[in-house]
Amino acid sequence: MNNAVQLKAKDYKSAVKPIWCPGCGHFSVFNAITKAMAALAISKDDTVMISGIGCSSRLPAYVDSYGFHGVHGRGLAIAQGLKVARPDLTVMAMGGDGDGFSIGGNHFIHACRRNVNMTYIAMDNEVYGMTKGQASPTTPMDWDHSKLTPHGPGVRPFKPAALALASGAPWIGRAYSGNPNQMAKLIAQAVEFEGFSFLHVMSQCITFCPEQTDWKAIVHERGEPALTDADEAAKLFLHEDGFQTGLLYSERRATWPPESAVPQSEDALGQLAASFRV
Amino acid sequence: MANETLAGFLAHSIELESEARERYTELADAMTGHHNRDVAAFFLRMAEEARHHLAEVAQLAQGMLLPQLKAWEFDWPEAEPPETASYEDMHYRMSLRQAMTLALANERAAESYYRNVATSSDDQDTARIAGVFADEELSHAAELERLLAQLPENPLHQLEEDDDPHMPE
Repeated sequence: MNNAVQLKAKDYKSAVKPIWCPGCGHFSVFNAITKAMAALAISKDDTVMISGIGCSSRLPAYVDSYGFHGVHGRGLAIAQGLKVARPDLTVMAMGGDGDGFSIGGNHFIHACRRNVNMTYIAMDNEVYGMTKGQASPTTPMDWDHSKLTPHGPGVRPFKPAALALASGAPWIGRAYSGNPNQMAKLIAQAVEFEGFSFLHVMSQCITFCPEQTDWKAIVHERGEPALTDADEAAKLFLHEDGFQTGLLYSERRATWPPESAVPQSEDALGQLAASFRV
Repeated sequence: MANETLAGFLAHSIELESEARERYTELADAMTGHHNRDVAAFFLRMAEEARHHLAEVAQLAQGMLLPQLKAWEFDWPEAEPPETASYEDMHYRMSLRQAMTLALANERAAESYYRNVATSSDDQDTARIAGVFADEELSHAAELERLLAQLPENPLHQLEEDDDPHMPE
């Protein structure tokens, strides 16, 4: 792969065609990622997309970079391991709301806490789409479209931004699938951020939650500089309507692993392995 | 001296047509995957129209130094370029009539964009070329209106799923 020539967004798309439903918000995320990669002139050779399981987790196959379609909920664990082993790579993890906040919920909060220098894109459509429409951790309480929850799930949905903040994430943004160009800008900022960047994307499921097409009229850009104070951000995330987009919170924090924990000599790993030999 | 206004306008026009082509191609592929062949074929045709117009704009811009803008640096009336089909308007079971109606709205949006540049630009070359582009979009819209008028109504068509989601009961 030769990146000497300035690549366009379409050059970052693989030959594999997405099989998402026409109108699915995940197309928008896919396009935003490739636009951000083109804008940053990211090398395909040095970029890895890692996902879990679900409709959104198919995304790595569609990007012409390295990729790993992992185990349900474990995309973040794999991505952090890779970034720690190969800090020279640009690592992006992605998945859906079920994958990230339910099956992979523990990995999510610890990824926020650990602050490895990578980007996580949660494509939230408030439903398990691949299994044909069941309630997820972000589904509204009264969503009664599934026979499994005929009166709605009846529990309060997660607030992903608040959860990320409480867990220590230093960069929190929100985007909407109806505005892929703003999303591309946020993804570029997230990739350039030194630390764990969490982008929450409201990505509509046209098939199982057709009411989400109404989001277009509700979503609004915050239009103010990102908050840098965690107390203020907590107030924002607990009391907002959940539909404001933009870079919402950003602070500088030491990343993991600390430099002192990184083996300095080339043989350090060999010596470590030898110490476990019996 | 380089005409910066014209270069900026042509950069926008190239982006507008490129995005329209990409989106229609993407939607055609998605519709093919969902066995909606009529709509897939129609979107491919629209992609080809956009490719044709893109080639014309690229020809006009040949030899000019165009600004290299990032995707979010373009100035559009809405979130996306005017001729780009919105994801929110799509459905895998959409009819050919619905697809054509949507494409017609896109052509009209593009015409409106170009017409606005034609009437508001201080640069004569930019205004003249934008006027030509607006007329071209208008002719596309007229052709779509003609096709729509020939298309038989299908009152039985509906978007809802005809099978229940799989549930263990």
